[in-house]
Amino acid sequence: MGIVIAVISGKGGVGKTTATANLGLGIAMNEKSCIVVDFDIGQRNLDMILGLENRVVYDLVQVMDGDVKLKQAVIRSKVNENLYFLAASQSKDKTVLESSKVEKLVAELRESYDYVILDSPAGIESGFEHTIEFADAAIVVVNPEVSSIRDADRAIGILDSKSQKVKNGEDVAKYLVINRISAEMIQSGEMLKSDDILEILNIKLVGKVPEDRGVIDASNRGKPVILDKKSQAGQAYSRIAGRLCGQKVEMKDIEISDTGLFKKLTGMFR
Amino acid sequence: MFDWLFGKKESASIAKDRLTIAIMSDRDSMNELPFMDEMKAEIIEVVKKYVGVRAVEIKKEVHDDLEALSIDVELDPDEVKKIKVN
Repeated sequence: MGIVIAVISGKGGVGKTTATANLGLGIAMNEKSCIVVDFDIGQRNLDMILGLENRVVYDLVQVMDGDVKLKQAVIRSKVNENLYFLAASQSKDKTVLESSKVEKLVAELRESYDYVILDSPAGIESGFEHTIEFADAAIVVVNPEVSSIRDADRAIGILDSKSQKVKNGEDVAKYLVINRISAEMIQSGEMLKSDDILEILNIKLVGKVPEDRGVIDASNRGKPVILDKKSQAGQAYSRIAGRLCGQKVEMKDIEISDTGLFKKLTGMFR
Repeated sequence: MFDWLFGKKESASIAKDRLTIAIMSDRDSMNELPFMDEMKAEIIEVVKKYVGVRAVEIKKEVHDDLEALSIDVELDPDEVKKIKVN
């Protein structure tokens, strides 16, 4: 019996799909079987980030409709044999999802893999609700920026009222990933600190990811940034994946820039 | 006025203040109960059997772990006078 985690954000463009791809691969690198599922029907992107776009034959809507078996639609990664992928449908739109079909699919995935990671569409409409409905936990991705944090709070509110677990009187675990942190901007008081974001959203932190040019370079190539051992963002995703696999990984303080005292001093007077 | 002398307030702390207020009000509006209007109408009907009512106000209050409904029934002043006479 695996664990089902929905990756949500409220606002789009904060790095949700990048987080899904990297955490999925990171979990697979920890010797756990992991499937990442693109729930963003009509706007599929996870296949591109994973470099699997040319291998997609069937999608999750076809599986849910019973047109093909799950095993036929699932793609096994060549980068890591523990990582599997199920693509979103590109031709249909979000409204095709039905609760009962989603529930059946999620149950089947839970039986087959240790970790099931669902990449939710942006927004808080029905596509989002279907993604969170049967999840055990949610990873909330935010940027240190007002609109992202506000939208995340709305998404968390809907998670707390629509999740099947909550309806059964249980708690749905929520973990925050703060993405695109700039130490330099935090030092100069131009960006919200992670402590402030945690205070506002009132959920548990699972990791902080710095702004890193390597992320776009990685998505250009279709090779998740976690594979680049030198990348700061890649290392951050490795630490988060370790935590999700139950390891005690110290929280690294990436909010202090290590670019030297001189730069810090000049930053103070800007 | 003295911004140029003491430096502008850091934008991160402005963001925190604005977010705190915006999110509090977002959460309040999400907490509004769907049956509020119906319940109000029924309360008015019940109280009216005994005394005239001007308005009913229902608020959901949250104090830490405790959630409560506070219901204020404003009576019709003319009716209140009648009660006192009797």
